[in-house]
Amino acid sequence: MGAAIRWGGAALIMCVVPFLLPLYEMDVYRKMLFWVALAISYNFLFGIAGQMALSHFAFAGIGAYTVVILMTQAGVPLLLAIPLALGLAGILAFIVSFAATRLEGFYLALATLAFAQLFIVILDEGGALTGGTGGLTSYKLPLVFGFEIQGPWLAIAMALVLLLTLAFLLRIDRSWYGRACRAIRDNGEAAAAMGVDVKRTKIMAFTLTSVMAAGAGMVYAFFDNTVNPPVFGLENAFMLLFMVIIGGSGSHLGAIVGAVLLRLLQDMLEPFVGQFHVMGLGILMVVVILVQPKGLVGIWDDLVGRKRAGRRKAKP
Amino acid sequence: MADLLELLVSATASGCVYGLIALAYLLVLRPTGVINFASGEWAMMGAYAAYVISDAGGLPPILAIPAAALVLAIIGWLTEWLTVRPLVERGAGHLAPILALLGMLVIYHQVVLLSFSEDQYPLDGPFGFGRIEFGLLAGSYQDFFIVGATIAIFIGFWLFFERTVWGRSFEAVAINRRAAALMGINLRMVTALSFAGAAAIAATAGVLDSPRGSVEANMSLPLAVQGFSALIIGGINRVEGALLGGIVLAFAEDLTRRYAPIPSGLALGVTPVLLITFLLVLPNGILRAKEAK
Repeated sequence: MGAAIRWGGAALIMCVVPFLLPLYEMDVYRKMLFWVALAISYNFLFGIAGQMALSHFAFAGIGAYTVVILMTQAGVPLLLAIPLALGLAGILAFIVSFAATRLEGFYLALATLAFAQLFIVILDEGGALTGGTGGLTSYKLPLVFGFEIQGPWLAIAMALVLLLTLAFLLRIDRSWYGRACRAIRDNGEAAAAMGVDVKRTKIMAFTLTSVMAAGAGMVYAFFDNTVNPPVFGLENAFMLLFMVIIGGSGSHLGAIVGAVLLRLLQDMLEPFVGQFHVMGLGILMVVVILVQPKGLVGIWDDLVGRKRAGRRKAKP
Repeated sequence: MADLLELLVSATASGCVYGLIALAYLLVLRPTGVINFASGEWAMMGAYAAYVISDAGGLPPILAIPAAALVLAIIGWLTEWLTVRPLVERGAGHLAPILALLGMLVIYHQVVLLSFSEDQYPLDGPFGFGRIEFGLLAGSYQDFFIVGATIAIFIGFWLFFERTVWGRSFEAVAINRRAAALMGINLRMVTALSFAGAAAIAATAGVLDSPRGSVEANMSLPLAVQGFSALIIGGINRVEGALLGGIVLAFAEDLTRRYAPIPSGLALGVTPVLLITFLLVLPNGILRAKEAK
């Protein structure tokens, strides 16, 4: 009961906020929700399942492009295009992860980086299908009962994707499956010896989180009614990695904190210091890794823990 | 025919540059197990250092190469000392230094962007611009200079690793860190030197490459990607593998771009396709590790 109230409350707040914000701030807000949703699923893949994949943004792009292409060029209705696009992302993710289960550590990073690069090359050279380097523009969501879905309503759609992603991942994180993922991350051989099917667990984690990325990408495609290659490129893939690590990899809260913080840094600092905020990102990354590998959430835990320990000591 | 031969000369020169970057990756990877994505930034910084040294310092281009390598060697050593050593001594896994170096990559890139404008800067090769012919082989001075310098560097490294006690100690650390430490090899020294050496080699690659185009901040990402692709293609176990991988990659790229009936933009897909193929089919690369003696 308490949980239902908490989730309902969070959903209500996230859905009311966009209607209270001016247009520009509302746009910043919904794009932040997009990043948070991606960071949450990426945290499960990287922080909990221990797979350093750089293909997460490519899968968001696959979701976005597929749904738009199906709707505008194949004339598929939206309600059918959504499951088809998710299905395509799932099949591609399954193939990539099936091939990649033999690769560990940075080899997986290189293979998924190559996959992400290839995706961008295909988008750039896809001609009329993908719109080339300019991407696809000026398409629209169909009217629902004569009502145009746009602006804050899309923020609500993204908030729902985010909450669904979080609720689902929190649930499986606490299950047998989540523990199997953590066991593989910490020591694959030991996990196998304990009876965990390493290959299947890895493929499942990769496919599941990549489909979640595709889902977020799909909503994103209708924010500005445009999709273009740079959004889904390598730079953002690395940005996502930085968010999860700075916030605290392996922690759901950390992913949220990292994504919100880095988006706010960018949106608030860029007008004043220009490119300089990117330097801050690099410095933050190095400092976090050197000082507290568990990220900002870990630093917070340290501070609170020390205070508690201090209080305990103070009492004789 | 003449067209093909000219293409082969310039592809060999590109392959040599890729091979040098791959060597920079290899020098760090072998003893520490860390893949240093900042290698491309080091190449770019080396090119900027050479530009400043020869433009403001007035040094002739041939001397700007070792000078830039020295500057980057110091930067590489500082990087190891500041960001990698504390992690290794704390016993953090391989992932932490990789991520810390990613952070350093961003810092390097921004420092260069803030210190210089986003313009492209010209850098002269030691022999200037011009074309030379050896019978059927023809190419620019710079292409032949790149090939010659790269061969000299690789022979130097090969002799160092195979024929000197110092070089053997690097190899020992690569094979088994703990055993090497127990044999009295100074792990700290080996790690520090491998970072300094890798930065110097990457800088040399950047300085050699930029007279063919220009010095610019955007040169780092393609070089970083082609460098690790060459490394995987050639195989991470042997020094010669880096050069071989670089040449194979450059030939595949240039021949596809010139002769394959596909748009030139699609030819950019050659590198990722080759990388994925090698990772899945031949993860140890073309050259296998030598049998233990």
